[in-house]
Order: sequence, then structure tokens, then C-alpha cells
Amino acid sequence: MDLEFTDLQLELRDAARNVLEGACPPSLVRGVHEGTATPDQLWATVCELDWPGLGLPEELGGLAMGVIEVGILVEELGRVAAPGPFLATVTQFAPAVQASASSLRLADVADGSCTGALAVAESGRWDPAAISASAEPVDGGWRLRGIKSHVLDGATAHEVVVLARGDRGMGVFVVPAAAVRASTSPTMDPTMPFATMNLAGATVHGERVLVEPGDPRADEVVAVVLDEATVAMALSTVATCRSIFEATVAYAKDRHQFGRPIGSFQAVKHRLADCFLAVERASALAWFAALTIAEEDPRRQLAVAMAKAATGDCVQLLTRDGLQLHGGIGFTWEHDLHFLLKRAVTGELLFGGAAFHRARAAELMGLVPVPEEAA
Amino acid sequence: MKLRFDDSVEQFRGQFRSWLADNRPDPEVMAADPPLSTGHAPEWVRHWTRAMFDAGWLVPGWPPELGGRDAGPIETFVVLEELAAAKVPRTTNVQGLGIVAPSIVDYGTPEQVRDYAMAILRGEATACLGMSEPDAGSDLASLSTRAVLDGDTESGEWVIDGQKVWTSGANYADFCFLFCRTEPDEPKHKGISILLVPMDAAGITVRPLPEIVHPDTPDLNEVFLDAVRVPATNLVGRRGDGWAMANGSLAHERGMVWVSAVMGLEQSLATLLDQAPSLLAAMGPVERALATDQIVQIAIDTHAARCLGQRGFAKLARGGSAPEQALMKLYASDCRQQVARVAADIQGADSLELGAVDDDGTHAVDEPRGTWMEQYFHSFANTISAGTSEIQRNIIAERVLGLPRG
Repeated sequence: MDLEFTDLQLELRDAARNVLEGACPPSLVRGVHEGTATPDQLWATVCELDWPGLGLPEELGGLAMGVIEVGILVEELGRVAAPGPFLATVTQFAPAVQASASSLRLADVADGSCTGALAVAESGRWDPAAISASAEPVDGGWRLRGIKSHVLDGATAHEVVVLARGDRGMGVFVVPAAAVRASTSPTMDPTMPFATMNLAGATVHGERVLVEPGDPRADEVVAVVLDEATVAMALSTVATCRSIFEATVAYAKDRHQFGRPIGSFQAVKHRLADCFLAVERASALAWFAALTIAEEDPRRQLAVAMAKAATGDCVQLLTRDGLQLHGGIGFTWEHDLHFLLKRAVTGELLFGGAAFHRARAAELMGLVPVPEEAA
Repeated sequence: MKLRFDDSVEQFRGQFRSWLADNRPDPEVMAADPPLSTGHAPEWVRHWTRAMFDAGWLVPGWPPELGGRDAGPIETFVVLEELAAAKVPRTTNVQGLGIVAPSIVDYGTPEQVRDYAMAILRGEATACLGMSEPDAGSDLASLSTRAVLDGDTESGEWVIDGQKVWTSGANYADFCFLFCRTEPDEPKHKGISILLVPMDAAGITVRPLPEIVHPDTPDLNEVFLDAVRVPATNLVGRRGDGWAMANGSLAHERGMVWVSAVMGLEQSLATLLDQAPSLLAAMGPVERALATDQIVQIAIDTHAARCLGQRGFAKLARGGSAPEQALMKLYASDCRQQVARVAADIQGADSLELGAVDDDGTHAVDEPRGTWMEQYFHSFANTISAGTSEIQRNIIAERVLGLPRG
């Protein structure tokens, strides 16, 4: 197993980091939080660089790279807490369309003219078994009803992939934003805004039915889509944690008390050593999981559950120690740290926190008894 | 990034695997004559080391005359992996093969290589590492065992007085790679030298230190040196360079030491997962859920240790630096402690029974053995020795993160 990037992948990472240094400075993130800036110019730059189509096939206008390369961009965007539709469009909407063997609107995704979202959760539950949104057959199409929660970019995306259940099983549908009613309330991190979505009896026909209820592919498609979206959320979030970590190490070297840098105190050193381990641990697990997706390895689902669980551990430690070690200054709105903290906890909980994914891992490892009626 | 190595590496793996199948020590012989300490090499170990040496598998990265085949780091990794999978120890004398022999090859004279390093590599001798002292544990550079040169550097003798402690394998080793102070007027880091000391030299007394579990097979020892005389030519490297060489010698195989720790951890987890269904089935639903979560957490840690080790290794194999490496000792030893503790909790009071120690020769003496609670106590060997977990955190903070020394 080789868990290190190739030289070309490292070049992509360095180039992306270089671009984002200029295109997504801390002042932009602050502006989005304070309502004085939008991600529009950053998104225009991202589209000029062909990043939305990086992982899409050439015939759709993409650059035909893979999950790893997309993950590298996700990390770099997470590192600077970048606002904008990349994460939902490229790591949630597009994989759902592709996993269903469709290319619906993907050419528009590749040229930046279409943004997307993925509606999975209901009442904050990310387990597809908990989906109760319904798909009911109507004259050659399907009518969708139910309430979806925590839909990233749900109020702004052009198109939404919806998971809903018909009598004969799960279905996957693409609904134009105008056909559903999305509502948002203010949340901690406006760089990752999410919506509650009332499917409101929207009807879906033809190519917009990606997977019909009853299609034997449905469970596998849903599993693949959730795995891709979850790994991307893990990579993005661990990268944010790494930024918290780097900021905290820099602060510990800079801040002097008792005539010496606080980073010279062993109590601080040991906390930072443990933070470093937590970041590296979650990062290594997330990249392993990304690799199992890239190579269609059977360990994929367990690897993803473990990666997102470790991401949760990492966020919990880094937000706690990052804030604690910054002391009073980190507690102020004026300091930029809290934008990273809020991005981290948002990524921790979207697509499931540590406890949810440890429970998933337990099921995948066969440690949970199968209920008698299902056995 | 790839889940599998290149085909050429897998061919190499197949080649070693088939050699191993034809030449491995007989499990019955191994079980009948287990190693008694890390300095002890039963007859079958000596033959096995010699067979590995002759076939060029013992230290694959070295040239054939040193028991290798000029293999790359990935091939060396594959050999270690296959040995662990087959439950055949590469050596029982981990300090001798892993640290002493490479240090002598790096810093020793041709005569020292011939008489000491080659003896280890051919399975003819074992070595122990004389570092810690009663007042020099984590602060190793303050060691006070003293050597004074009597005569000149060619025909004279070093006269050694002092005491070592926690010396693994000293109760059976043939010689000691001894750190001692030769330049008492120099600053503490610059006054240390390394001497090769036969353990049967007059004036050496070894007192085994039975450990808190398995006291009948002690590996740790006190070593008392009372006017011990060795030839002046037993000095390794230059006078006063001992500390610099220590950092070099402990760094030997640094890119690989995690492999055996992680594979040991994986074996412990596999054992726990074998036992888990029956243990969990006997529990009520809430206890079962809590216990299941503990198992999942250690399974995640085990997988993470593997991924971290592999990522660091991949960076080193490409000639880069790998901050992951600095984490592996801390992380793997903590995980090994945790897996035993979790298992003991889940197994309950049965884990308190003193088990028959599986001295079947399949693993080195310094690895956790016995029942889960015995393994738990034994696991502190790994979080205390070779730099405690606290020292590891200091090293990570100072050398990797660049935080100022306190």
C-alpha cells in the first residue's frame, strides 16, 4: 500500500494552495461571516481553473482526473475554510449522478453554469434506512413528498439530488431547485449553509429519475454516493483542523508569558503533540478511505465510517485545544480562529458525527446482532 | 497513491514466501525450545538466523556479504510483513540485529565488524545495549558509568566502573554495546563513548530483574561493572562521539520498527475480535453497546496505526522526510496498551487468571503475552522503554513542531 501522493498530485496541491492564498484570504471568510462579502468571485476563479470538472470525463468537458485529485482540491478549500458551491456540487451532486450511470447536467457542472446539492438527511439522521420521504408513481413519473434536513447549499443550488423511498425500494431523483421549498435559518458557519427542504409534491419524469424505486442498483448507488460525500466532508474537515493546529502551534511560539514562549511549557507541548497525532490519524484514515473509493475496494464502507469517526475525534480535540491554547484572544470575534472552529464543527456533524459512524462501523464489522425478524 | 504495491514487488513477495515455506523453523521445535530473553538464542534461532543470512534475507537492504541482497526499502518492508504473517520471528535478539550490528557496521573498525557485527548476523552471538542507569533514564546523557584508558590507544585497556539497569537480554547476551563516560571534563553530551564488552569479562555481575508479570522469564537486568577491562581497540567510533552515535543507532530501521508494533497490534485486535461474539452475546443490551463501542474504537486505532505507518514509510521510501514516523512509537504503544485494557474489561474477571504463557517461540520475549490483564501490564514495557510516551511527546513538540525547549 502506498499512501503518499505522486509528484503530479503534489504539484496539483501546491498549485491549488497558491491560487487560494490569493483568491480566498481570511478577509473573504470574515466577510461572508459578517455579511459583507459573497463567494461569487472565488467561485468564478474556481470555474476558470476548471476545478468543478476536474473529476468528470473529457466528453462532458471535464479533466478526467480521479477521486484522489478531487480530494486534493477539497483539502485545500477546507484548509482556508473556503465558501462556495464546490463541496456540494462536486462531491455530492456529481457523484450521485455519476453513480447512477447518468450524465444529467454534468456538462453544465463542468463549465460552472450549474451547481448542485444532495438531500439525504431527515430530522438530522444520516442513515439511509431512516429515510421516510416518499416517491409515489404518477403518470409516467414520480411525486416526491417529505422533509429533508441539513441539505448543504440547499437554498442556492440549481439542482438537487433527492433520496426518497417508493413502495418497492429507494429511488434517486434530480429536482430543480424551483420545484421544492427550501428554507434556511442562520447557522454557525455561513461558509457551509444548509437548508431544510420540503419536497412539496414535486414531480419528476424521464432522465431526472436516476434510479427508480425497485431498481436492484439502488442500495449500492446510495451507498457509493454517501461514501463519496462523507469522505470529501472528512478530507475538508480534517484540513480545517490542520489549519487550527498550525495556527495554534504558531501562536504557542509567538505568545510569551513568564518571559518565555508558552510553547516551551510541557503542558502545552504535550497537548500539541496529541493534536498533531489526531490530525495525522484522521488524515491518514480519510486518504485510505478515498483510495478504497478510487480503486473500488470492498473495504470501502468500513474505511469511510472509520475515517468520519476519526474526523469527529479530531474536530473535538482540535476545537477544544485550539481554542483553549489561544486563550482569551481566540475567544474574540476579532481573531480569525473562530471561523475555522465553526467550519470544523459543521464538517464534523454534516454526514454524521463520531458516534454515528462508530455505530456504522460496528454494524459493518458484524458486532451488532441482526434483529430476529430480519435474520 | 495505491492500495497495492507494483507487480514486481508482489513477485518479490512470492519469491520470499516460497523460500520461507521451505526453510522456516519447525513450529514444534520452536515451541519445545522457546527463547528465554531477548539475549537468548536457542539452537533453532541460531540456525534460522544463519539460514536467513546465507540466503540474503536477514537484512535485505544490505549487500550479500552482510546478509542482504541490496533490496530497496519496499522489499525490506515486504519481508518483515511476510515474517510476521507466518509468525516467525526475524530474530529474538532485537537489539543486537536492529541496533548493535548496524551501528558497528556504520561506525566500527573492520575488525569489529568481523568479530562482533558478523557474529550477530551469522547467528553466532547475541548482544545487549547498555544505556540506562539508575540515575540516567529519560535523561540518558547524564549517564555516569566511567571508562578510563590504561595505556595507549593501540595496546592499552579501558577500565570500566559503574552500573547499568533495564538492560534487556543481558542475562544471556554474549557482549554488550556499552555507553560510558570517557571524557568527564567535557559537557555531558560530548563525554560519552561506546565500548564493546564481552559479557563474560571479569568484574561483570548480571542480576535479572523479574518483571511484574511472568517473573520466571526475566528479560530486564541490572549490570554491575567493577574494574572490567577490555582492549583499547574495543572503542567504537571516536571518543566522545557516543551520544551522536546513539542518535544514529536508535534511528536505525526507524522507518521499519513500526511494522512489528503494528502487526502485533493487529494480532491482538484479531484475537479480541475472535473472542468478541461470545463475550458480547452474554451481555445485556446496554453493556453490549458500550463494549461494542470500545472494540470499534480500538479497531479504528489499529487501522489508523497501519495507515499512518504506511504513509510515513511511503514518504521515507521516496527519500523525503516523514513526520508520521515520530508519532509511531507513541501511538502504537498506546494502542497496544489500550487493546489489552479494553479486552480485559470486556472479558471481565476471567482476565485476572494467570494464563499459561504461550511461549511457543512465535514472538519475541519482549512482546505482550499471557491473558489480557497480563498483557496489559506487560504493555507498559513499550510505553516506558526506549523513550517514555512523555519523552516522545517532547520529541514530537520540539523536533517536528519546532516548539522551543523548556
